[in-house]
Amino acid sequence: MTGKIEKLGNAGISRRKVLKGGAATLAAGSSLMAAPMVWANNLKDISLKQVGPSFSVYPDIAEKASQDLGFKIETQGAWTDALMARVVKQPETVDIADIEFWALSKVWRSKQLQAIDTGKIKNWDKVIPLFREGKNFDGSDASRQGILPYEVQYTDAPGSESFADGPTGFTTVLPTIYNADTLGIRPDLIGRSIESWAELLNPEFAGKTALINIPQIGIMDAAMAIEARGDFVYGDKGNMTREEIDKTIEILIAAKKSGQFRAFWSSFDESVNLMASGEVVIQSMWSPAVTAVRTRGVNVSYAPLKEGYRGWGVGMGLMSHLDGLKLEAAYEYLNWILDGWQGAFMAKTGYYSSVPETAKSVLSAAEWDFWYGGKAAAVDIQDPFGSLQGSAGLVRDGGSFEDRMGNVACWNTVMDEDRYMVKRWNEFVSS
Amino acid sequence: MASFDKGLARHVLQHKQAAFAMSNRNTKPYLEALPYTSILILIVGIPIATLLTISFWETDGLQLYPNFTLENYKEIFTSKLTLILYLQTIKYTVLTLAFSLVIGFTCSYFLVFFVKSLKIQIALFLLCTIPFWTSTTIRMISWVPFLGKEGIFNTAAQGVGLIDQPLAFLLFSDFAVVLTYVHLFTLFMIVPIFNSMSKISPSVIEAARDAGASDFDVLINIIIPLTKTGIALGSIFVVALVMGDFFVVRVMSGGQSASVVSAMKNDIDQLYYPQAAAMAVLLIAVVLAFVYLIMRVVDIRAELER
Amino acid sequence: MISSNRGPTFYFLVTFFALFVAFLYGPMLIIFVLSFQGQQGGLTFPMRGVSTHWFSDLFTSSRYGDLGGALSRSLILGVASMVITVVTCLFAGLAFRKRFVGSGLIFYLAITSLVVPGILLGLGLGQLFQIVGIRLNWFTSGLAAHLSWTLPFGLLIMFAVLNRFDGAWEEAARDAGASHWQTLKFVTIPILFPGLIAVSLFGFTLSYDEMPRSLLTVGADNTLPIEIANMTSNVTTPALYAIGTVTSVISFAVIGLAFLAISVIQKRRA
Repeated sequence: MTGKIEKLGNAGISRRKVLKGGAATLAAGSSLMAAPMVWANNLKDISLKQVGPSFSVYPDIAEKASQDLGFKIETQGAWTDALMARVVKQPETVDIADIEFWALSKVWRSKQLQAIDTGKIKNWDKVIPLFREGKNFDGSDASRQGILPYEVQYTDAPGSESFADGPTGFTTVLPTIYNADTLGIRPDLIGRSIESWAELLNPEFAGKTALINIPQIGIMDAAMAIEARGDFVYGDKGNMTREEIDKTIEILIAAKKSGQFRAFWSSFDESVNLMASGEVVIQSMWSPAVTAVRTRGVNVSYAPLKEGYRGWGVGMGLMSHLDGLKLEAAYEYLNWILDGWQGAFMAKTGYYSSVPETAKSVLSAAEWDFWYGGKAAAVDIQDPFGSLQGSAGLVRDGGSFEDRMGNVACWNTVMDEDRYMVKRWNEFVSS
Repeated sequence: MASFDKGLARHVLQHKQAAFAMSNRNTKPYLEALPYTSILILIVGIPIATLLTISFWETDGLQLYPNFTLENYKEIFTSKLTLILYLQTIKYTVLTLAFSLVIGFTCSYFLVFFVKSLKIQIALFLLCTIPFWTSTTIRMISWVPFLGKEGIFNTAAQGVGLIDQPLAFLLFSDFAVVLTYVHLFTLFMIVPIFNSMSKISPSVIEAARDAGASDFDVLINIIIPLTKTGIALGSIFVVALVMGDFFVVRVMSGGQSASVVSAMKNDIDQLYYPQAAAMAVLLIAVVLAFVYLIMRVVDIRAELER
Repeated sequence: MISSNRGPTFYFLVTFFALFVAFLYGPMLIIFVLSFQGQQGGLTFPMRGVSTHWFSDLFTSSRYGDLGGALSRSLILGVASMVITVVTCLFAGLAFRKRFVGSGLIFYLAITSLVVPGILLGLGLGQLFQIVGIRLNWFTSGLAAHLSWTLPFGLLIMFAVLNRFDGAWEEAARDAGASHWQTLKFVTIPILFPGLIAVSLFGFTLSYDEMPRSLLTVGADNTLPIEIANMTSNVTTPALYAIGTVTSVISFAVIGLAFLAISVIQKRRA
């Protein structure tokens, strides 16, 4: 695992370096050109189908990759629930699956995804310790509440159905993007600072709050609020016992009956509208939604709260049916993803790359400072499509990458008592 | 002799033709219905049969195990959530039915009996159908900027002085859900009712008027009875559509209400298919019961045969 | 037809109808207006300037997925569903005029197809195709899924169309010596023509707009509604409304064509 660089290429030169080097490399020696040419011919008729949610799978990224690599990558948008059904039941319609870690924990057993040899991943050692070792930046163990990606990151050997306890040479998916989620607030309508998750249940905001209506996530946001308020302490907010679930739901039903919640949103644009229109002033929210609201000139902030964040991540998985040239191409693509262009693109949507180092080399210094460094923007900040997101002077809520990802209290999850939890959540929502 | 033979021959021939035609008439419906039936059985019958089978199986969230079990049904029938969801969904259905019926009937009544030119009738009718062609999703979400607290209606009403505070119940409420259902599904009432009404022969009405009947009498005693097929068909549409929906409920109630199908969706998302299948079987049974009731009141099939 | 005098009933009904049409068109107008939202604007009012920015964005920007491809697939599926639905439902409707064995079963099966949650039917259908060995594809399993939605509607509308359809015309034709096909072509279909247009319009639109059943049966390429739904999870720009406007324009065009076709055919027949 230490000898990272080239398994690829007879010339022993990293293909990416050749492409990026461009003119300099040309000048350096035309003999180098022989190697990538052979490649391009080898794989140029290959076509890979990448399927996943639209906040992770962008046609732009696939297009750039197709250009750089010489073969075709096609994308298809599919939400995680549909994706899970397809991975398990219709595997032949997917080549590469962009799957969230909690969903991975459900479908890995189906053996429709194959183990990835980390030896073939050039930048594996540059992946942050959070994924590789399950450790925070300060060396302490990351929170295990919920499903920490590390817990489902490794498997013992190709073909194994289970997850390994510690690092092995085989990973289940290649971690790509992730973020720390928190509550979105309207500081202009609230008028004071919000520092705790408990404010979600504060009667001061009755009729002006909203929760996400995906039970697995909503219940954790609720749990963060309940624990912050001091009602009781959970053993594991990401894996509640029946009693904990019952207690949580009772509190939620009471809150609903007293009119605490204005709405429960299930799609992204609902959350954006709720906030932008002022229907709610504090709610579960996703980072790109915050930016979307900002582009409308509305003052919204993604509040760093003292109890911490709720984390989540997405990884790219290779389907078991990939082999031969297609498999080679897939590894090419995986390596390209970690090379920086994708990381820079995703940074501008607010999501972090599992290999920040390479993303840094593609982002401008000012962008890096804003998105990762937590510093005030030196220039106007744009999203990947060129739309204005924030003017110079804006500071990313929550500060730097280390501040945010280092303070994750729990992770998106599927609990052991999942069915029971969903049943009770339905009761709550219909109460 | 020859003519008698010819006569006899022709008689026999006619008889044979008649017999042939008769037997044709017996097999004709089967042949005519064959394409439709075969496609339907293939793409609906088989999957539904599968659904029924799965509802008696077990799963661990990934694999299906064909061990016969009544556990799924037991769960449904012992959970009070089921009752709540069905009552809620039936409530929506009844309300939507009532409003769409009244509105659909009135509009059709207007179009058929109060608009003289046939061309204008059809034009106005098409006018009603055009919005149907914009994607339902987009039509639905566009109600949000209209009904919200800062939406058009509230701002306008406040501006004109009609109300002081924005009306919160307009959006994310039962009101919003039923409003959207009526908006989306009234068309399904108008089409069959308009159709039935336009088939009413004007001479029948003229005869009634000559006999001294008022507009109202004509409406109650002639028009409504003759339109009952249209009403029944429209009702079947609305019942099936509302009971089978989850999207409208979720978006327009702001997630505050669940419906039968939205609760089912959670199971489906988590790959718990047997449980979802059992819920689906129950739903289908309930709706078919509704439809059967409607058919008892109006025998659509008999109307066809005349 | 019933009252030629413009009494109070008439005015009441006119107002009622006008209000209903306004109610129907309200959201559409909002979509239409908002699709011309200025560059800085969002999905709700206020309008920040007026521009066709979002339309051009729709066609040029790559962040909207494969809208073009999805659109063409939806259109093709719509036409295919329409044709199959009209043909099969016409004959099935005619057949249902007699009570044949199994007709009740078919009727209730059609209703079942209407009400079964789309996702589950899509799942079952997908499985069926896999077992048989046909690759899941928008034009095979996707078409099947769409038909499961349009065929029941088609049948029920045919019931409405055939309601009190006078079989006397057909008998007269047969007495005059016409063959079965001739009767169909020269008598039955022309009389039923407006109804058939209705069935085809419904067949097209229902297929064009269908989503839950398509989700698990389209295979590797999305149809338009799925693509739009996917977009809503990260696109919150008025481009969404621009899509609505464009879709409506296409619909108007199709209806306009249909109307023209009817007028032309009526003229030729007269």
